[in-house]
Amino acid sequence: MPIRVRIRYWSWFKDLTHTPESECTLPDGATVADVLHRVHQEHPRLAEARKSTLVAVGVEYQPPDHILHEGDEVSLFPPVQGG
Amino acid sequence: MHRHLELTAAPIPLGDLAASRVESSTSGAVITFLGVVRGSEAGQPIAALDYEAFEPMARHQFEKLFQTMETRWPSLESTRLVHRYGIVPAGQPSLWVEVTAPHRGDAFAACQWLIDEMKRVVPIWKRTVPTP
Repeated sequence: MPIRVRIRYWSWFKDLTHTPESECTLPDGATVADVLHRVHQEHPRLAEARKSTLVAVGVEYQPPDHILHEGDEVSLFPPVQGG
Repeated sequence: MHRHLELTAAPIPLGDLAASRVESSTSGAVITFLGVVRGSEAGQPIAALDYEAFEPMARHQFEKLFQTMETRWPSLESTRLVHRYGIVPAGQPSLWVEVTAPHRGDAFAACQWLIDEMKRVVPIWKRTVPTP
């Protein structure tokens, strides 16, 4: 059963994607790495920032092998700069 | 440990925060830190910084940092933090932190650690707003 996830882009990543969010459908068992692969295909300029990209699912940071579930919200953003 | 966290678009009310500190007969150290927007960035004058926060995650990550502080420095009595988002003009504070403890060593160390970790894990970003 495929799953749908929402992808949110933050900071200057929004400038690269020209949108604050998107959705994608993935096969059951898909991981954060699968989302990144899909996003990088759609937005090659975001792929250039892959080494510094941070990923959260919900409000927690997650590694590439984290398995996603229906309705998850995946956030992609550059290094944080608070203060 | 008493905790207070505020993410706000409004100017940080320094006087109110100072007045609302919970007084304790055991707190011998009260460390406060202000992060202030500089008037230049990379050698160029700027008017302001425009802060963006992923607020639910920022709150969650701050709470996790507070939890770690409680474990690492059990003597801490209070940690209060206010971070602004939106446009913060040069010269105004974007961050206010207060840490209280019986002794200054733990208070200084915990305050420094909190700010360092915030800059590593709390999803807040800034963009420069050039001078007109």
